[in-house]
Amino acid sequence: MENNIILESIKLRKEFGALVAVANVSIKVKANTIHSIIGPNGAGKTTYFNLLSGNLEPTSGRVIFKGRDITNLPLYRTAHLGIGRSFQITNIFPNLTVLENVRLASQALGKDNFKFIRDYRHFEQYEHRAYEVINQVGLTERALSQAISLPHGDKRKLELGMILAPDPELLLLDEPTAGMAAEEVPEIMELIQKVQKSGKKTVMLVEHNMNVVMSISDYISVMHQGQILAEGTPSEIASNEVVQSAYLGGLYSDLQVS
Amino acid sequence: MSEFTAPEVAKENIYWATIKNSRGLLITILLLAILPFIIALVDGQPFSELLSNDPGQSKFYQALMIEIFILAVYAISYDLIFGITGMISFGHAMFFGVGAYVTGIMFKSFGWSLLPTIGLVILAGIVNALIFGIVLPRVKGITWALVTLGIAEVFFIVIQSRELVDFAGAEIGLQGVTPPEYLNPVTERLRFYYLAMIFMILVYIFYKRFVNSPTGRVCIANRENENRAIMLGYNTFWYKLTALIISSVTAGLAGALHAIFHPIIRPDIAGLSFTIAALLMVLIGGVGTLSGALIGAATFRLLSFGLDRYLGGSSQIIIGIVYVGIVLYLPFGIVGTWNQRSVRRKEGREQLLRMFTGSKEKKQDENEE
Ligand SMILES: Nc1ncnc2c1ncn2[C@@H]1O[C@H](COP(=O)(O)OP(=O)(O)O)[C@@H](O)[C@H]1O
Ligand SMILES: [Mg+2]
Repeated sequence: MENNIILESIKLRKEFGALVAVANVSIKVKANTIHSIIGPNGAGKTTYFNLLSGNLEPTSGRVIFKGRDITNLPLYRTAHLGIGRSFQITNIFPNLTVLENVRLASQALGKDNFKFIRDYRHFEQYEHRAYEVINQVGLTERALSQAISLPHGDKRKLELGMILAPDPELLLLDEPTAGMAAEEVPEIMELIQKVQKSGKKTVMLVEHNMNVVMSISDYISVMHQGQILAEGTPSEIASNEVVQSAYLGGLYSDLQVS
Repeated sequence: MSEFTAPEVAKENIYWATIKNSRGLLITILLLAILPFIIALVDGQPFSELLSNDPGQSKFYQALMIEIFILAVYAISYDLIFGITGMISFGHAMFFGVGAYVTGIMFKSFGWSLLPTIGLVILAGIVNALIFGIVLPRVKGITWALVTLGIAEVFFIVIQSRELVDFAGAEIGLQGVTPPEYLNPVTERLRFYYLAMIFMILVYIFYKRFVNSPTGRVCIANRENENRAIMLGYNTFWYKLTALIISSVTAGLAGALHAIFHPIIRPDIAGLSFTIAALLMVLIGGVGTLSGALIGAATFRLLSFGLDRYLGGSSQIIIGIVYVGIVLYLPFGIVGTWNQRSVRRKEGREQLLRMFTGSKEKKQDENEE
C-alpha cells in the first residue's frame, strides 16, 4: 500500500433490504488533499460516509485508515484515531452554549474525562482551545449563546468548530454548507481550505455546489446509484464524457470550468 | 493561532462565582438549622423541652422535614440520571427500596450495626447500578426504561413473596426494625433531623460538584445528543454507568435512612408509583437543575400533607390536577422557571417531550435542505 494513502475503502457495500445504497466502492484518499464525493441526491454519499466513520456497519468490505483496519472499531474510537465527522443534519448539543459545545469537543481526547470533583473550568486548556476554534470559525460574538438559538448558518459553523477542536487528521464533511445562505458559503470553504493546508489535514467532502467543488478539490469521485462513476482531478472530471452526459451535463449545465 | 487569547469573559473567577452562587445554599442551610427552634418558639415550647425531644409542634414538623430530606435525596438521585444524563428509568424506586430493605433486614434478622450495614447498602447500590447498566450498550431510550421497570418489578415481587416473609414481611412490609439507640427517630428526633439535613446538603454539594466536573459535563453532553458525544470520542457507556452508580448509591442511602426512620418499611417504596413520585418531584422542581429536585421534594411532600389534612380522601385528585398544571404551565419546573425569569412554555414543553421520546433529531430535522 502506498504510504501517502490515509484512507482506503475496499469494496465497501451497504444494502438496505433490496436497495444497494453503496455498491462495492473502493476509493483511495491521498493524505493532505481535499477529496470530494459528488453525485445526485440518493447516490449513497451519506451512507458511504457513515460506513467510513463507523456510524453504519457495512454489509461487506473494509475500511483502512493509516494502514489499520477500522471497519469494526467501536464508534467512539474513530475520533481517537484522528477522524472528525460532520453530518448533513446539524449534530450539536442544542441547549449548551457555543463555548460549551466546542469545549466538550476539545475535552474529549484529553486525559481529564474521569475527574469528577474538580470544576471543569479549572481545566483551562480546553476552554482556551475552544475559544481559539470559535474564533477561527467566526463565532466569537456568539460564544455564550445557546447553540439552539443560533441561525442555521452559525450552527453549521459551530459543528465545524466541534470537529476542528480536537485537531483531527481526517475530516469527513457531509455537506458542511447545506442550508447556508449563499454569501456565507465562500467563507466556510476558505476556512476549510485554510485548515487543510496549514494543518496537514485531509478532507473528504460531500458538496452540492459545483463551482465550490471544482475550485476547492484536489480529487473528485463521482457517485451514482451507489457506484463510482468516475474519478480524477477536477479538470479530468469536467471533461469526462460519461460524467458529462450522465450527470454534470444534465444537472449542472451552467457549470464553467476554467 | 496560539497567540490568540480568550476574551475576558472566560476568565471570570471560578471561586468567586462559586461563592456567589452558594448564597442561596448558605441561607437555606441556616434556615433549616434553626427551623426546629423557630417552630418551638412559635409553639411556645421551651428550648430545654425541644432539646430533650419532648412532644410538640416542633417535634411533629421535624418528622415532616426528615421525610422531605429523605425524599429530596431520592429525587436528586433521579435528577442525575434523568435530568442530567438524559436516561429515563422506570425502576428508580428499586434503588431506594434495596437500601431500605437491606438496612431493615440486616438490623432485624442479622443484628448488624449501622456502619457495616451502610457499607452493604453502598455495595448493593453499586450492584444495582451494574444490573441496570449492563444492558445499556444494547438498549436505549424507552426500551431501556422498560427494562429497568422489569428489573424493578421483579424486586418488587420478590420482597413481597411468601417465601421471604420472615425477612421482608411480605406485602405488609418489614416491621420491628430496631434502630440504634443514638438514632432512635422518636427519642433522638432532633439529632435525626440534623443528620438527615446534613446528609441531604452533602449529597447536594457533591452532586453540584459532580455536574460541574469534566465527567459531569460529559453526562450533560450525553443528555443533549448522545450520538454527537460518541462521535467526539466519548465512550458514553462509562459516563452513564458512573451516573447510575452515584445515583443508585445515594438513593440506597436515602432508603437506609428511611428504614431507620419509619417503624414499617412498606413495599410501596420499591414500586412503580414511587418511581413516578421521583419523576414528579423532579418535574415540579425543574429537570436537570439539582436544586429543583430538593424544592420539588418539599413541594411534593408539603402538598400532599396539606391537602390530606384539609381535604382528606379527595386530595389525590387535586394533587393530580396540580401536577398536570405544573407540567403545562411551568414546564421548566419551579427552579427552571426562576432561572429563566421568563416563561417560554411552548419551548419547555417541547423540550420535555424530547426528553421522553429521546428524539434529539426532531428539532434538527427542520434544518435539512
Ligand atoms: N437507514 C436507511 N434505511 C433505508 N434506506 C436508506 C437509509 N439511509 C439511506 N437510505 C437510502 O439509501 C440511498 C442513499 O442515500 P444517501 O446515502 O443518503 O444518499 P446521498 O447522501 O447521496 O443523498 C437512498 O436511496 C436512501 O433512500
Ligand atoms: Mg446525503
